[in-house]
Amino acid sequence: MDLRDFSDKAAIVGVGYTEKQGTVPGVNSMSFAQEAAKAAIEDAGLTKDDIDGLLIQPTLGQQSYTVAAKLGLDDLKLLANEDVMGATAPCITAHAMFAVVTGQANYVLCLYGTSDRSGRFGLMGGGPRGPGPAYGLFGANMEYGLAARRAMHEYGTGPDTWAEVAMAQRKWANLNPRATFYDKPMSKEDYLAEPWVAEPFRRADCCLVSDGGRAYIVTTAERARDLKQPPVYIAGVGQSHHTPDVEQSTHMTGPTGAKASGEMALRMADITLADIDGCEIYDCFTYTVEVTLQSYGFFQKGEGKDFFKNGRTGPGGEFPVNTSGGLLSEVYYMGFTPLTEGVMQLRGQCDKRQLENVHHILASGNGGILQTHGTVILRR
Amino acid sequence: MTARNQGFNKPLPAITEENKPFWDYTKQHELRVQKCLGCGKLFYPPSGMCPHCYHMESEWVKLSGRGKVYSYVIVRRSNNPAFANDVPYVVSIIETDEGIRYYSNVIDCKPEDVSIDMPVEVVFEDVTEEITLPKFRPVT
Repeated sequence: MDLRDFSDKAAIVGVGYTEKQGTVPGVNSMSFAQEAAKAAIEDAGLTKDDIDGLLIQPTLGQQSYTVAAKLGLDDLKLLANEDVMGATAPCITAHAMFAVVTGQANYVLCLYGTSDRSGRFGLMGGGPRGPGPAYGLFGANMEYGLAARRAMHEYGTGPDTWAEVAMAQRKWANLNPRATFYDKPMSKEDYLAEPWVAEPFRRADCCLVSDGGRAYIVTTAERARDLKQPPVYIAGVGQSHHTPDVEQSTHMTGPTGAKASGEMALRMADITLADIDGCEIYDCFTYTVEVTLQSYGFFQKGEGKDFFKNGRTGPGGEFPVNTSGGLLSEVYYMGFTPLTEGVMQLRGQCDKRQLENVHHILASGNGGILQTHGTVILRR
Repeated sequence: MTARNQGFNKPLPAITEENKPFWDYTKQHELRVQKCLGCGKLFYPPSGMCPHCYHMESEWVKLSGRGKVYSYVIVRRSNNPAFANDVPYVVSIIETDEGIRYYSNVIDCKPEDVSIDMPVEVVFEDVTEEITLPKFRPVT
């Protein structure tokens, strides 16, 4: 057996959105997850009795079987809470792919729900408190800021580069009615006027915090062809996890896990980077887009400061990135945001933001402070 | 150095079985990390096992206290009341001359004057009876 034997043998057949997303007070994460699950099942043209696998990103704070029971799924062949933070969506997609291709399950529901914006924000944590907070080090904004500052030093990127990333994604969001910033354009002046969060990051460099849910369903390519939506095939998957935190990181300016996971996924899909028509990159920060694309090899170290210029990654640009607006401007559902947008682009159902002649989309997930990474290459 | 045993309200690190020697040494104004008795490499954060060779025995060796700024952020506003009077402040990753990385503050200079690779040296702040925090200032 080889990873390549699995290429195009599984497909994503349903995507579930919650009707409301962004700031939605008074709804708990489980309710969002239920709504997203229902929507994904309907979108695929299935019924809940078809679902025999459930993989959950454990943001719901509940045991996997409790989530399953609340979805009325009581005869599952595959069930797990799986967590590698932001890399979870691509990694559970691979797990689901192996499960359906090998016959463990037929239809695997991949599920995410959150009330982080209006409820309690409890993303990170665990373990005894280290010395960081005594020095005023709190959270991912500062930790990614440390990585980003180092990249400014090594490559000459910085706010001028990241403004291009943020503005391009905002332009995509302005074409996406679901996006949190659909009605709010952003100029360079607007970007520069944003308050510092942790210098060198302004607020516009940081992802949203959102309420809502997202779900999708994985099945075999064969079953997919008989369903309601055009199948989007899982052409390649890869993972690579460089686990030390940023204090001890030797990879904060790349290559991150994107490099090895990208190479693995490309080999499986039997294509090269030149075949990728669009990228849905995990963008917890603007800098994450820079270091991830660099690590995949779309540009070399030192080329980042020019790569994003002139709206290259925005609508009408030659290298479309994060076409929903991404985590910065659409909504923050971790790896589920980029992955589901990749599926919708390949289904040709993205209306005003639809890419033309699109055959391959690369979707990424990145967790911790560049500590986990997963890649999925989608093909139509 | 400054002793502020009264009213220190910042979140202090948890003392664990593994890291207790580190904090016992900082209390004596010494910066020490573990040296593996198997492979001889230095390692930090404190651990019961060498991450390089899995050897279980180590000794605590004293560092020079000198290093440079590997990276930093400037915090200009804080949601944490304990840091309200500190902004703007610098959170940094220091790389010591021995190659050990450590989160700390760069103090005794304006945030705008901090730069990557700037040479720094340790100073010890006795913040409570139990905890002394190593901080770093520019080498003059």
